[in-house]
Amino acid sequence: MQIYLPIAELPVNVFVILAMGLAVGFLSGMFGVGGGFLMTPLLIFLGIPPAVAVGTQSTQVVASSVTGALAHWRNSSIDFKMGGVMLVGGVFGSFAGIAIFRVLTKIGQVDLMISLVYVVFLSIIGAMMLTESLRAILAARRGIPMPANRGGQHNWLHGLPFKMRFRRSKLYISVIPPIAIGFFVGMLSAIMGVGGGFIMVPAMIYLLRMPTSVVIGTSLFQIVFVSGLTGVMHSVENQTVDAMLGLLLVVGGVIGAQYGVRAASKLQGEQLRAMLAIIVLLMGLRLGFDLVTTPADLFSITDAVPHS
Amino acid sequence: MSLHRFHAFAFLALAFMQVTSAHAAQLVTDLSEHQVRIRSNFTGTQILLFGAIEVNNANERSADRDVVVVVTGPVQPVTVRRKERLAGIWINNDALTFPKVPGYYAVASSRPLEVTADIALLKREQIGIDNVNFGTPVARGLDGDPKILSVDDEKNFAKALIRNKKREKLYNADPGGIVFLGQTLFRATVEIPANVPVGLYTATVFLISDGKVVDAIATPLYIDKSGLERFLYRFAHNDALLYGLIAVLGAALAGWLGSAVLRQR
Repeated sequence: MQIYLPIAELPVNVFVILAMGLAVGFLSGMFGVGGGFLMTPLLIFLGIPPAVAVGTQSTQVVASSVTGALAHWRNSSIDFKMGGVMLVGGVFGSFAGIAIFRVLTKIGQVDLMISLVYVVFLSIIGAMMLTESLRAILAARRGIPMPANRGGQHNWLHGLPFKMRFRRSKLYISVIPPIAIGFFVGMLSAIMGVGGGFIMVPAMIYLLRMPTSVVIGTSLFQIVFVSGLTGVMHSVENQTVDAMLGLLLVVGGVIGAQYGVRAASKLQGEQLRAMLAIIVLLMGLRLGFDLVTTPADLFSITDAVPHS
Repeated sequence: MSLHRFHAFAFLALAFMQVTSAHAAQLVTDLSEHQVRIRSNFTGTQILLFGAIEVNNANERSADRDVVVVVTGPVQPVTVRRKERLAGIWINNDALTFPKVPGYYAVASSRPLEVTADIALLKREQIGIDNVNFGTPVARGLDGDPKILSVDDEKNFAKALIRNKKREKLYNADPGGIVFLGQTLFRATVEIPANVPVGLYTATVFLISDGKVVDAIATPLYIDKSGLERFLYRFAHNDALLYGLIAVLGAALAGWLGSAVLRQR
């Protein structure tokens, strides 16, 4: 069944979009990731204009992060103070990201930038996840326990000024690193249409040395507001949020996530993580391949003025 | 062709045949639809154009008489960009903006255009995809500064524009697409693809005899989004802030519902 998307201005198959939403929702429920970094490239492969894919994807991120954040709120595993500080950076970051997006759209380089940023991040994240999960699988086979994450250590970041006490995270650190992380992730959120959990979570664990128990909840809390803001700004600045497409993605995503969460408790984590890593790597390679191979037509056309 | 359209066609065809005119040769034409509504189930459509040539003198020679139909969509500026390899990556480099490019252009004729009229006439009337006047282009380099391109290069960009539009099925040429039923009745189908731009279209029918335009009739055609598609598109463009807020809050609500369902299980 085909449905015409009013903003993307092309017909798509409803079941294909729902299935994509389900699949990505399933993965996001299983691994606790937003799934935006998988969905945006999939939408682009499907022929949705990259700008519309990014703008619309932010609504899907809002939906999945609200679900996740509520679950963590009930478990009281959110550091609201830390989340709030990061949110300050996130708000400025998403403003900056939207401004970059606008300038690049004007000079015709936005598609290139989205692809490039995705290639870089999908490759890095995919490679890191793959090595980590392979190491874990090997360690489990040999029966060696994984070294525990050593908390409470100090690094150079702890020497910065403007210190603040975060009781929930049991930290007394400068507000500069959390604001900087929030800013960077907010910018990525606006440019890539992702929540940015895949950057934020490792940064919070390894740079801020936050306890793992509050990291995911806190990052989800932050993502809800940043991606919500990004969605509104994409609507205002670029009119690239397709409500019809968003609805289909959200419905698929919400249902898929339910099954993902349940499947996660039954299946072996490390193998699945390795599989996800391979999927991520393949998508990065595919996007990278498109950048370096000679295009079928060197010329492309765009309407110079957005039609009203 | 649907039965409904066929009836309309047959009725009008009969009506046309009974009309007599004082002119040597004259056109009577109409479209099966004057309005195309893009709804959520829109996957493109076909429009039937039909008409008749009225001839005063039944013995008039009709061999060198051609009918050409041109359907053009709303005109707007279009930027054509050429990719170049920089550090191994293909990136958009030179850009050429043509000020008046029809978003849609279809031409159908009873015979190939070359044998219908000379190039000067085709250019003047903008008949044929290669004869559309896109206006004087403005070139810009990668840095966004104005730039001068050679005439040959500009032609490459114009050709690329046509090639891209053809690939998107927005530019079509159908020599022989005008089907004559007998001496005077003719019809043509115009393919409207799903990605068609909205706006006011014009279907112009030319009657060309001995290399001259004997008669021409222009009929308007409106293509517009309708129903929910129209509402959402208008909403997104006219009330962008409210639209964005509703989209985001709706998504948050869906997430909350998902969480509530998850909790119950």
